[in-house]
Amino acid sequence: MDISLSIFISLAMFAVGIIGVLMKRNALVFFLSIEMMLNAANLLFVAFSREWGNQIGLVWVFFVLVVAAAEAAVGLAIIINLFRTKQVVDVDQYNLLRG
Amino acid sequence: MLFIVCLGLFTPLLGFLLLILTSHVISRRFAYWIACGAIFISLCCFKFLLIYYHQTGMDAENFNLYSWISMGAIQSNFLLHIDSLSLLMTLIITGIGFLIHVYSIGYMDHEEDYARYFAFLNFFIFAMLLLVLAGDLLLLFVGWEGVGLASYLLIGYYYNRPAAAQAATKAFVINRIGDLGLLLGILLTFYLFGTTDMTTVSQLAQQQFSVGAPIITVLTLLYFIGAIGKSAQLPLYTWLPDAMEGPTPVSALIHAATMVTAGVYLVVRMEDLFLMAPLTLQIVGWVGGITSLFAAICALAQTDLKRVLAYSTVSQLGLMFLACGAGAFYSGMFHLTTHAFVKALLFLSAGNIVHMLHGTTEMTKMGGLSKIFTKTHWLFLIGALALAGIPPFATFFSKDLILEQEYLAGFSSLFYIGLSASILTGFYLIRAYCLTFMGSTHLTPEEQQTVQEAPVVMLAPVMILGLLTIVGGLLGFTFYQEPLLESFLSPEVKINAIEKELKSGFVLTPETWLAIGGSVLSVCAAAWIYTRMRNRLGSTLQTVKKAFYINEIYWMLIGLPLQTVAWAITYILEPKFFERSLQWITQATQKVAQTFQQFQNGQIRSYVAWMVVGSVLLLVYLVF
Amino acid sequence: MSTATNIAQWILGFLLILSSIGVILVRKPIHASLCFLLTLLLLAAIYIQLAAPFIAVMQVIVYAGAILVIFVFVIVLFQDAHQQIEEFRAKSSPILLWTAAVTFLASLGLLAWSLMSLPAAIQTLPAGYGTVETLGKALYIDFFFPFEAIILLFLVAIVGALYIGKKEI
Repeated sequence: MDISLSIFISLAMFAVGIIGVLMKRNALVFFLSIEMMLNAANLLFVAFSREWGNQIGLVWVFFVLVVAAAEAAVGLAIIINLFRTKQVVDVDQYNLLRG
Repeated sequence: MLFIVCLGLFTPLLGFLLLILTSHVISRRFAYWIACGAIFISLCCFKFLLIYYHQTGMDAENFNLYSWISMGAIQSNFLLHIDSLSLLMTLIITGIGFLIHVYSIGYMDHEEDYARYFAFLNFFIFAMLLLVLAGDLLLLFVGWEGVGLASYLLIGYYYNRPAAAQAATKAFVINRIGDLGLLLGILLTFYLFGTTDMTTVSQLAQQQFSVGAPIITVLTLLYFIGAIGKSAQLPLYTWLPDAMEGPTPVSALIHAATMVTAGVYLVVRMEDLFLMAPLTLQIVGWVGGITSLFAAICALAQTDLKRVLAYSTVSQLGLMFLACGAGAFYSGMFHLTTHAFVKALLFLSAGNIVHMLHGTTEMTKMGGLSKIFTKTHWLFLIGALALAGIPPFATFFSKDLILEQEYLAGFSSLFYIGLSASILTGFYLIRAYCLTFMGSTHLTPEEQQTVQEAPVVMLAPVMILGLLTIVGGLLGFTFYQEPLLESFLSPEVKINAIEKELKSGFVLTPETWLAIGGSVLSVCAAAWIYTRMRNRLGSTLQTVKKAFYINEIYWMLIGLPLQTVAWAITYILEPKFFERSLQWITQATQKVAQTFQQFQNGQIRSYVAWMVVGSVLLLVYLVF
Repeated sequence: MSTATNIAQWILGFLLILSSIGVILVRKPIHASLCFLLTLLLLAAIYIQLAAPFIAVMQVIVYAGAILVIFVFVIVLFQDAHQQIEEFRAKSSPILLWTAAVTFLASLGLLAWSLMSLPAAIQTLPAGYGTVETLGKALYIDFFFPFEAIILLFLVAIVGALYIGKKEI
């Protein structure tokens, strides 16, 4: 597969992820967009690993996957807790860190 | 020698410190002993110094206590200078001071705050001694300010009375105006000569400048401005009548005998400089003469007994300056001495009456007191006649000497002014005597029951002063040879040529007869008018009584604008500008904080947006 | 490669972009998660294409099978709350958000445009590229320490998630 195509797809996914983070107010879709960004990075790793024939990229993908899983678990636990405090899933209402 | 001088100088200071530190706990008797004792020790020291001085031949001596300022261009030390002039002044100060301290024991017998009074009185004696013993102009200035401060403290002794507090402030402020002149003079002295040692200054001035040099005229004028403030001459005299709000012994000591004479002392001390500036001497003479006449006219219309005496003091000081203006410094000092006795006598006998009548000084409430105050009224009469210039009392000789000097030195217009002032002196003093002691009484019946003659402790000092008044003239006159005082002062105080003529004794010139005749006439006229008509001779001209409204003019010209400015600053400038600008600063800080607060609104999306912007910038930088 | 592979790549890529855009464009979050599932599966296909079969399988099992399932659970848990969002006013300033988005897109576009020409992929892959055996060897021998650290991370995440999500009774 052509490397430039992979790069293009990856950048597109990343852009979509950023737009989702900025525009969406639902906390869960917000988080989904973050996972999308991680996937874009994964794709880039795999593509370049194939480009240079090196296994290191694949090992990195492994680690990213693990971190994404852990992060998803903890993040969702936090969202559940926030929902219990604020009774909404609107990200704009989660402003307890203001000061 | 130095020990005796220091003992005499610093004992009153010790007395002051002791009394002021223990003023709440000290007992009455103890306070009296400390205060009078301190002054008595001082008096003995200076008496001893006088004898010693006389024996060793009257050389002036300098004692350098402490080297105060010595930078390259400026030299000034704590220099004490003992010569006949300063010894004369110290004897007057401590002698009359001691008598007044004893008198005050009786005057203050019903006051609770006696320790404060005696402490300040001792402090005043110390400051005045420092002033006359100083051999250095800067040290003299220290004493000068000290007596000003003591005057303020003592005039405002009855601080509960608003009139007294205002009078004290007024005295201090007006003195300050004069002090500015003196301070400028001292600075000019530093600039010209590099030192303020009086003997050095006199010598250097004679070497470096010629007679009539403009800079010396300016210098002496500045000194004279200081003297005007302290000695209550014409532009700056208004504090002295108001200063009568203080206790009567204070008026006797400070505002008759000692502090107000400091100006005359300064002029006489710096006589070498003044003789080099004939223009200043003319100004001195004219100021003194006009003040003298003006104050005498004002005294004619006063109804307050102490104010009559205050204006009389101003008038006599004018005469002393008149003498200095003609170059007759010795006559000025002689009149200073005799006037000190007489004025203290007058004030203390007035004080007897005031004390016994519980503080009234209005003559309209008195009258016919000669039956009650059998001894005091004789003493007052002696004082009044003496000051009027009737021979053979002391003041006659000194006043007459001044008038003769004036005439013979060629200032005939000033002679006539001085003569009229002297004639008026007799008139108003006898008027005061008649209104107070003669005629029918205005006392209420119960006052008539309770008022009686003053106690011995108050009478005795007055009697001593009366005695001095009668015989004091002997100090300065004899028929054929050089009088005592003159020979005493002659090494220091220049006797000018005319005085040398009179040195051979007392001569009865036509001017003398004119003066004697005028005084006798005025005395008899006043006695006749005021025993018969009892002040029915027209109601007192309000203008003259208020001293031609000079007080009010000063208030409108100077006091009122300053007060308006102060009001404007307090009510307009300060709230609108200062507080507004402070408020503006706090508001601006708050706005800045609010702007920055928007970065921390807790919105995750905003945080992410700023991060994205930052990463875009980084990307652009790294890639392109 | 052959044209078929090429066309297949292009179609896959196109579909992938469509589905990822779909994640953010659809209205209901449950539909968004389904679009995300489609994205993940397409990504797995691309991984296979890129000669990394193990990664593809892992992607499906871990991402699509575990993470996405948790997401769906939570979405269903909050199903009543999703409607309420429209009632509240947005508190972040839209100007800021749109500016950030537009500039980011622009910069990414520029970046992509400058990366157009790159060397072609290596044709011959080393033996055992992408298999479980070589990957396992690399993980356990070359990258042992990060591996253990990751395990620790997992432990912390588990304990953390349990603690945060616990209901106070």
